[in-house]
Amino acid sequence: MKPSTISYTDGAKAGLANATLQKSLKKIQNGFGKKAMRHWQTMTDSDLRPRAKARRMQTLEHLDIVLAELAEKIREHGGHVYFAATAEDAVRYTLQVAERNKVNKVVKGKSMTSAEIGIDPALQNAGIEVVETDLGEYIIQLAEDAPSHIIAPCIHMDRFQIGKLFTDKLGHEYSDDPPTLTRMARKSLREKLLSADMGITGCNIACAETGQISLVSNEGNIRMSTTMPRVHVALMGMERIAATFDEHRELLQLLITGATVQKLSTYVSFVGGPRHEGDPDGPEEFHLIVIDNGRSKILADPEFREVLACIRCGACLNICPVYGRIGGHAYNSHYCGPIGAVVTPLLNGINDHADLCKGETLCGACKDVCPVENDLPRMLSALRHKLAYGDKYWQVKPYNRIEAAGFKGWRKAISSRKAYNMLLKVGRFLQKGRIAENGMISSMPGPAGKWTRDRDLKPLATETFTERWRKHHSSRKMEEKS
Amino acid sequence: MIDSTTAHSNEAKFLHTVRESLVPGAKEVRQKKDFLHIFQKTDCLQSVERIQQRNDLDFVNLIASFKENCTPLNLGVHRVRNLYEAGEWITQFARSAEPEFDIEKHIIQHAHPDTHELQLWKRLANDPITVHTTFTEDTEIAEKTRASFIGITVADWGIAESATLVQVTAPSRPRSTSLVPSIHIGILRKNRLLANLAEAYAMLQHNGINSSFTFISGPSKTGDIEAHMVHGAHGPREMHVLIVE
Ligand code: SF4
Repeated sequence: MKPSTISYTDGAKAGLANATLQKSLKKIQNGFGKKAMRHWQTMTDSDLRPRAKARRMQTLEHLDIVLAELAEKIREHGGHVYFAATAEDAVRYTLQVAERNKVNKVVKGKSMTSAEIGIDPALQNAGIEVVETDLGEYIIQLAEDAPSHIIAPCIHMDRFQIGKLFTDKLGHEYSDDPPTLTRMARKSLREKLLSADMGITGCNIACAETGQISLVSNEGNIRMSTTMPRVHVALMGMERIAATFDEHRELLQLLITGATVQKLSTYVSFVGGPRHEGDPDGPEEFHLIVIDNGRSKILADPEFREVLACIRCGACLNICPVYGRIGGHAYNSHYCGPIGAVVTPLLNGINDHADLCKGETLCGACKDVCPVENDLPRMLSALRHKLAYGDKYWQVKPYNRIEAAGFKGWRKAISSRKAYNMLLKVGRFLQKGRIAENGMISSMPGPAGKWTRDRDLKPLATETFTERWRKHHSSRKMEEKS
Repeated sequence: MIDSTTAHSNEAKFLHTVRESLVPGAKEVRQKKDFLHIFQKTDCLQSVERIQQRNDLDFVNLIASFKENCTPLNLGVHRVRNLYEAGEWITQFARSAEPEFDIEKHIIQHAHPDTHELQLWKRLANDPITVHTTFTEDTEIAEKTRASFIGITVADWGIAESATLVQVTAPSRPRSTSLVPSIHIGILRKNRLLANLAEAYAMLQHNGINSSFTFISGPSKTGDIEAHMVHGAHGPREMHVLIVE
């Protein structure tokens, strides 16, 4: 599904006004977010995160070699590997595989990469039925909505909305009981899962040493999608790979802790090729599509390379005070929350997504909770810097020239005592009559009005510290004299 | 279909872009043999030896820990003295359990020496319950699996720390047996118990990884509707492990 196309502010407002979303966000943040944080603080192997991060960066620095190794191993297993430089390449290849195999029905395991490349509309245009099988994603697909969380896609909907949706779209008798609703979806999806010709999944973490990808789920839909259909196509962002099996284990543990603080998810499956001879199930064809689609540009920039260490666990969403209020839709992207605020501008244009990095508070919580200690706040600041001054490599135009001019003037003003005093006087004059009952300024004229649209401004003090100091200082001197 | 030569040049171009991002201007393809350190394996032999030297007391502790970790997962765990007793348990269970999708009762079990010893087809001969085994020669395994309400597998290993069964795919041990039926029963021999994930990785590595494998920790579940935990999303809604001592 396409993310919505409303503005960041409107999306945020809608999120704030959605009571269901607010309740779920609180629940998720008080649960997963806090638990993950506690886990890091109390775990015995306190070196795990920095160690895994260092290895992760090492793998990224040798990504060409590691990817070549993975491809070789998968081909040894009889699988196909296709390297897609762009989203279009990946889509074209998938369509070709589907066509050659006369695919009518595709079942999908949750994959953000699949949303990133826009595979669903392409398949549907080719007359192929596409069914999301993760329960949350299935609900989103039925509602023609967009996911609002990486691992809990439909937290903005409540059981009543879902009940109504199932009645409207599936013709079930109305129920708002989660177990009953789950059973309804289980029944319809089981049919799809058992009759589909092709399964499309993402890839949580691939492993070059063993030539496999690994897929994590609690529902079992991903195992179904990779076991029952004749063809399995896995979409993998090119950075989602560990060089060794050992590195894989640490990342897997970090991923699961970051995501849900489980010891292990219900299912973790490792696949790297088609069924072996004599196997009664498993796909007859296995295709891995390794996708660049803007990632090599990030890799080439030392300032942002680190963001590719992300293992998409969603922990930063579960702790971020901004995401925790506005929810996922405001981000207008397949990737939301703090990680989305960094990666979306880098993949889709910094100017086009300027609000995202400015909306975050730089409080640092995302860095503290991130299993690979990604310094998202640093990268958010770097993005803001590029927006302020422009950037050639990322083709960023300075975001707001008036603001830039304003700050230039401000720099001049505060370096001259006289000018500063003047400004104070002017300011005090202008604020007269604007101070509301609560002692705050709640509206300003002209372009400054934007600042007070959603918040109050504290007025200038009637006396600054310097002014008061001067007064008291001189009076003390007089006392001493007398 | 993209033929193999285009796929090849395509791959070279892709990897070239990646290399350019990392070492701008590098002319040569970087070879694995010049960067062996990034593929440095940890030695699994030490762990394997330690695992193989476990004594009875160690296993008592591992069983206790496995059991404890089953509870939050809603995973039933039962200790039996031998496979005969396991067969007895499954027989009783199959008689009382109700199928979810069908009226008839079918059971599918992995072709494995341990399931053979359960003697289920004998025990259930006079019940309206059909027992299937996943022999490689059988061409109807898929249909039989779909018709079954219980799937029985023999785990390659168990992980105590997370109450996990490790299932390696093999010709007579299909993946769907632990997935498609509504109830999954896993047989786990005591001496196949491992302490944690690291040990499981070590054993897998030691035995050589040539096919797909899965970690299974409890029945299928979802919390997608208002974070309300429901068992039986797509996989089995119920799971039991029989630890054979
Ligand atoms: S940035 Fe870190 S916390 Fe956020 S999704 Fe990625 S790995 Fe998880």
